[in-house]
Amino acid sequence: MHMRPDEGEGSGGPMNADEAEVRQRRPMDEEGASAEPDGATGTSTQQDGHFECNICLDTAKDAVVSRCGHLFCWPCLYQWLETRPNRQTCPVCKAGISKDNVIPLYGRGSSNQQDPREKLPPRPQGERPEPETHGPFHNFGLGDGGFQMSFGIGAFPFGFFASTFNIGNGQFGGHPPRPNVPQNPEEQFLSKVFLWVAVLFMFWLLMA
Amino acid sequence: MASQNIDPMLPTMQNKEKKVNATRRKDGHSVTMRLQRELMNVMMSGSTEVSAFPEGDNIFKWIGTVKGPKGTVYEGLSFKLTLEFPADYPFSAPTIKFKTPCFHPNVDEQGNICLDILKEKWSAIHSVSSILVSLQSLLGEPNNDSPLNPLAADTWNNQAKFKELVHEFLKKNSKNKSS
Repeated sequence: MHMRPDEGEGSGGPMNADEAEVRQRRPMDEEGASAEPDGATGTSTQQDGHFECNICLDTAKDAVVSRCGHLFCWPCLYQWLETRPNRQTCPVCKAGISKDNVIPLYGRGSSNQQDPREKLPPRPQGERPEPETHGPFHNFGLGDGGFQMSFGIGAFPFGFFASTFNIGNGQFGGHPPRPNVPQNPEEQFLSKVFLWVAVLFMFWLLMA
Repeated sequence: MASQNIDPMLPTMQNKEKKVNATRRKDGHSVTMRLQRELMNVMMSGSTEVSAFPEGDNIFKWIGTVKGPKGTVYEGLSFKLTLEFPADYPFSAPTIKFKTPCFHPNVDEQGNICLDILKEKWSAIHSVSSILVSLQSLLGEPNNDSPLNPLAADTWNNQAKFKELVHEFLKKNSKNKSS
């Protein structure tokens, strides 16, 4: 009985609902205590809700709990974190969250005590580099065909952006750089060269 | 040579998106599951203020209804909306539009809505019912700082005039749509 579900700090659910759940559970011992106070009948359908994943709304599988106390299936949370690598926040309360500070939960009798975080992703997927280069380049709203811009003025902000981005790369959302990502040093070098050419060009324009 | 002027970060981003896409395809089933659960929640909630139901057989497309909040210029009106869910819902926000013409500072003539939780503030815990409730409160409390409908934003302070315009807009645009 020391495993009351509402123990522990920061559970997101309303407190009285938790109490109602505990009340719900007790009648299992005291047979037939059916006269429940108000609200208890209502919670019988929501009772499972306390252990539902906040993302898929199903009972949490490979459950992990965040430091802020919110429960998720690890696959669900993993996908959430993956869709926004730059802004890793708890979907419920927007607290900071990361792969390393969620806690896996192991229920009794589960045969597989492996850390769910090690199960997913099962293994890195094959990555194939894009043959062509229309990428989402939101920051400039240029869309595709960015490289078709005339050299000169166009290259200036472009090169500038690229090179600053490279510098900021290290602290990018705490994600270690993937080993097989083509971080082409050639490309980095070229973009720096273009930055300087563009800077010189601008300078020349100003002087002329 | 074409790629030399491209941000070197780009391949990473593309690959990442690819990867996420791959995950998405796998769990199209779980999206359906989640939408079915939401449908159940909406129906069980028994709310008279907001409601929603899939349009036809496609569970990725719903029609929602929001009643104009009491004590506002929209009182007594009821607005229909279309909700379209992306294949990676709930990791991306659904696309929601007003089907009933709505004269409101944050709704444009096509029914597009400007609401932060449907854009950059989207979170996977939002659900159909929570969105519809948010939209209902948006009706009564517009954000006049970033209007999609500048006329509505300017008129908001004159509530009597605003109410007139709401009904005028509704009449005019309903005729155009012939619905």
